[in-house]
Amino acid sequence: MSNPKKLNIGAWWKKLNVKYSLGLPLVLLIVTTLLSFLFQPNIFRPNVLSRLLTSNFRTWLPVLLVTIGQAIVLIGGGLDLSNGSIASVGNVILALTVVSADETGKNVVMVLAVIVFGILAGFINGVLTAYLGLQPVIVTFATSYIYSGLALLMLPTPGGAIPRVYTDVYRNTSLLGIPISLIIIGIIVLIWSIFRNRKYGRFLYAVGGDANAAYTTGVPVTWMKVSTYVISGLLAAFAAIFYSLLTGSGFSDSGGDMTLSSVTGAVLGGVAMRGGIGSVIGAVFGGIVLGNIRNIISSARINSWARTLVNALIILIALAGPGLLNLFRRKKFNERNKS
Amino acid sequence: MKSIVLNTEEIRKRFGGVHALRDGSIDVRSGEVLALVGANGSGKSTLTKIITGVLTQDSGLVYYRNEPVQYHNPMAAQKAGIMAVYQELSLVPSLTVAQNIWLANEALKKSGFVDDKAMIEKTKELLKLFEGTYQSSLHPEAYVHSLPPDEKQIVEILKAISRNPEVLILDEATASLDSKQVNRLFGLIDKLRDEGKGLVFVSHRMDEIFQIADRAVVLRNGTTVGEVLISEASENSIVRMMVGSESEIIKETDLVYDIENKDIVLEVDDIRSEKLDGVSFKVFQGELVGIGGLRGQGQSSLLHTLFGNNQYAGTISIFGETIDFKHPKEAMRQSVALIPGDRASEGLLLIRSILENFHLPNWKAYGKPLLKINKARKDAQQMSEQLQLVMDALDSPVSSLSGGNAQKVVIGKWLLRNPKLLLLDDPTKGVDVGTKSEFYKLLINLVEGGTTILFYSSDDQELLGLCPRIMVMHDGKIRADLSKEMLSEENLVAASMGATSESNNHKDL
Repeated sequence: MSNPKKLNIGAWWKKLNVKYSLGLPLVLLIVTTLLSFLFQPNIFRPNVLSRLLTSNFRTWLPVLLVTIGQAIVLIGGGLDLSNGSIASVGNVILALTVVSADETGKNVVMVLAVIVFGILAGFINGVLTAYLGLQPVIVTFATSYIYSGLALLMLPTPGGAIPRVYTDVYRNTSLLGIPISLIIIGIIVLIWSIFRNRKYGRFLYAVGGDANAAYTTGVPVTWMKVSTYVISGLLAAFAAIFYSLLTGSGFSDSGGDMTLSSVTGAVLGGVAMRGGIGSVIGAVFGGIVLGNIRNIISSARINSWARTLVNALIILIALAGPGLLNLFRRKKFNERNKS
Repeated sequence: MKSIVLNTEEIRKRFGGVHALRDGSIDVRSGEVLALVGANGSGKSTLTKIITGVLTQDSGLVYYRNEPVQYHNPMAAQKAGIMAVYQELSLVPSLTVAQNIWLANEALKKSGFVDDKAMIEKTKELLKLFEGTYQSSLHPEAYVHSLPPDEKQIVEILKAISRNPEVLILDEATASLDSKQVNRLFGLIDKLRDEGKGLVFVSHRMDEIFQIADRAVVLRNGTTVGEVLISEASENSIVRMMVGSESEIIKETDLVYDIENKDIVLEVDDIRSEKLDGVSFKVFQGELVGIGGLRGQGQSSLLHTLFGNNQYAGTISIFGETIDFKHPKEAMRQSVALIPGDRASEGLLLIRSILENFHLPNWKAYGKPLLKINKARKDAQQMSEQLQLVMDALDSPVSSLSGGNAQKVVIGKWLLRNPKLLLLDDPTKGVDVGTKSEFYKLLINLVEGGTTILFYSSDDQELLGLCPRIMVMHDGKIRADLSKEMLSEENLVAASMGATSESNNHKDL
């Protein structure tokens, strides 16, 4: 007790790591953010920072939303490889139907339709995995092709135009200097933290931790699993809406990149692929880290042909990292036991 | 007479072709502890799982407070007041002690938020019930995965008690507890009994049954065969009920074993590990030694320890040499082979050919300087003849074989290495009758050819029919070493329940 302040930091760090598995994600967030600032001249002029924040987060918002959904599915012990395709369908629907700012009523209906589609698609994923007991990897991989096939059917070539009025609102609105995209993230994290601290959250972590034990204890496991896919589908629909506002047009494979990014982001954010561990805020950190890395790669003047490779390497390290770390720990543990 | 709070009538349950329960009938009275007794596969666990809604019966009825009830999931049974403490724990390792105890029974604030503080306080209260019998590592905010087995079991017990059940089923709840903890648990059971709750106690320890139970129901082959008041019963009378009057043992062989002039192949002296508590024995060359007892008493662990899979203290010598296998590879080099019982880990490549599967662990022997495929083929052909493998050709995929023949390939691939000591880990679990009898013939052939075999089986009939010597394990110890006139079902069952009467005559070799 000679140094209570230091002790407190140690305990705080341990709690952050053990209870929320947020230690590494937080470090990565800080390091990558600082690195990406290095490549930005004039970063300390207030306008530059604010503009950077706005442009970054409006680009990242769709991916961050599917990452949050993916994190919830992963925590519940599942995996959703179709969230990107669900977003593609949403984007195509909006690009084809929201063409005039004068038809407010119709536009609202179409946005609602996209949300309903997301929920429905997630529900189908959930029923196939949780009720029929099929492997989530296989089910959602298959449904991802169904959904992206649907998108391609509706819009074979990129096109459509979302009215400028709408896209400008998304691009330029900010509150007290905080861009609307960041506010949306904040609201969703807040809503989730409410669920997280009610029965739902407890059940979710129990189901992901050990579904059998949770079932024998009286947790409605099947229903919980279905619900995670529905949430993921819903967030993919939101992603579609903001992606459409970001690009102003439609593309049948617009969500194609989102799927892998969502898994990587969640894992970088401390969510375990085996379920029961991690947090939504961690997943948001992970998503931002991924965005930062992309920015660093592009501003570090890495040859464009190497970008995909570097990107893929980082994703591989992120996904394999926890396993490698465990291997290393076990080795150390064994050595300690022997001596 | 005390009133019946829960009873089952003629419960039947089948898993595939296997009858787990034919007629499971028990009466649980309030204010009484009912012991549920039976050998492996007698249906104890199945019956308790049906009562708690984990499984659904094929036919028969469960009555709760004289009303027929049907619970389709554990949630419904718990709402009605029926709780169970399971042997294979129902705890989520990644959650804390408090989170586990109150899972699906959370204390909520008025706003609907989970009230962690209240639950931690209540958990502290509960832990006082076992105060002094656990280490300081057990506290409400400790993660369950970091706890030792006994403390996990305590958490499991407290979880059940926290729900204040009317009927509490304890399925091998004492298995991982030490004597102090068991006493504390029995104190709790006494209290619940005084409060008029109905209690069901499943245990493999006869002394505990006599200490805590008021009444015992005996199950045999899925059928309720009798009920006795403990005050009027003896260990022997219960063992006799478990065994039954008509013996159903079919002798597979009249193999007699004469240890004179034989070498000692395996000598084990006082080995201890997590699951083993001082095991010593000798096995002679060409012996077929059965290992019996209720499931999970250390049998598998013993075989895996011999094979170099587990850490242990004590000495093991094989062929007169003290060994310390660090890895199964070293055991294989010493001509020891272990055939696992777990189908998933049997390691057959189903789509590859029989030839390839046979030689999977053996290619090295044919590798230098170039692959001697013809010799490999010849050896495989010989092995398939020795095993009487029914197949099209060596090049057909394993998936084209019947289940029994596929299992022969599993065994054959180890036999090709000419093991001198063969360890079998419950290899006939879930295997059909025809395959079993062929398997027995194979074992007898091997033993007659000089191979030494240690054969763990959870099927008592099988051991009695096949092995001239059976070692019965109980709580990580060899409770009895039976052969010749001592070798009887009664002695086997008595030893596997840890009964003190007849089984205590350890036979000295």
